[in-house]
Amino acid sequence: MMVVAAAAGFAFAANQLSPRGLNLARDYFPGPASHPAPSHKAPPLAETDRRIKEKGLQPIDRAQAERLFHDPRCQQGLVMFVDARGEAPYAQAHIPGAYPLDRYHPEKDLAADLTPCQNADLVVVYCAGGDCEEAEYTALLLRDAGVPAQKLFVYGGGFDDWSAGHLPLEQGERNSGLAPVKNK
Amino acid sequence: MDFGSVAARWLLGALFVYTGLEKGLDPVSFLKLVRQYDIVQTPFLLNSIAATLPWFEVFCGMLLLAGIAVRGAALTLAGILIPFTAVVWHRALILQAARAIPFCAVKFDCGCGTGEVFICGKLLENAGLILLALWLLAGRGRQFALRYSLSNSNPSSSPSQS
Repeated sequence: MMVVAAAAGFAFAANQLSPRGLNLARDYFPGPASHPAPSHKAPPLAETDRRIKEKGLQPIDRAQAERLFHDPRCQQGLVMFVDARGEAPYAQAHIPGAYPLDRYHPEKDLAADLTPCQNADLVVVYCAGGDCEEAEYTALLLRDAGVPAQKLFVYGGGFDDWSAGHLPLEQGERNSGLAPVKNK
Repeated sequence: MDFGSVAARWLLGALFVYTGLEKGLDPVSFLKLVRQYDIVQTPFLLNSIAATLPWFEVFCGMLLLAGIAVRGAALTLAGILIPFTAVVWHRALILQAARAIPFCAVKFDCGCGTGEVFICGKLLENAGLILLALWLLAGRGRQFALRYSLSNSNPSSSPSQS
């Protein structure tokens, strides 16, 4: 019992002190339960779109995402992309100009991302795609933070689909202009 | 001298420190993996398991490496390993049915801190770890232990007597 008590104290303290620690009280998966498919294969896009709609969000596909990326409003910040994959994958490569938003640690980016999101006409949120639900939950986070739901779109195919289409990518910080090494 | 038992204690300790750190330093990934098991629905419980279980492992692993409260640490680790092995097995059966493949061909990231693994190898490994933990629980691995038992009344608590 002493070991268990000491281990519990150590564990809760470690989680509290770790910058990557979890907020125990937060519901990281709000809304209807949608358990990831028990398969290695990514679900078909129709299935992903159904899941996105179930959460009250609007799905878009690669062609639509690409059109929005080339829309002149994108340069003016009126169409913006939000990358929900987390710090490390974002640094490796992301859709050029996309804002990073780690929903597990929103205190890092949310304050900086919120005003541009509210000022934009359209906000496209993406994660890795397929089984990945981070884009949906990030869109819900933005909606709960005050971004009107009708502005929010989820790119279900996500980053994997975007890079499979050999579309532009950027490495490092937002607007760094650096192309990822593998794309050179 | 029983070097085999000491080596077993160090092996078990080092393994749990390593796998615990792998998960504890990336709790978000571990949270997503724990969620896949669908064993708890309450966010607080789910978060608590994902946030604390890896550090439990690290703590008990360090106790085993140092030789402090060895039986208590071994019992705690067995208490983690046995139910965890059961849920891994259960998840593998679900995956086997979904993919229509032989049981031993099932490969997935079980949240064990070692990435994707084949299920049969994982179950054998866990069975070995459980046996090691039970062996230590039976009173082995006293050599080079800083404080084998926390109870002062236990004459074997001194390393010089072990």
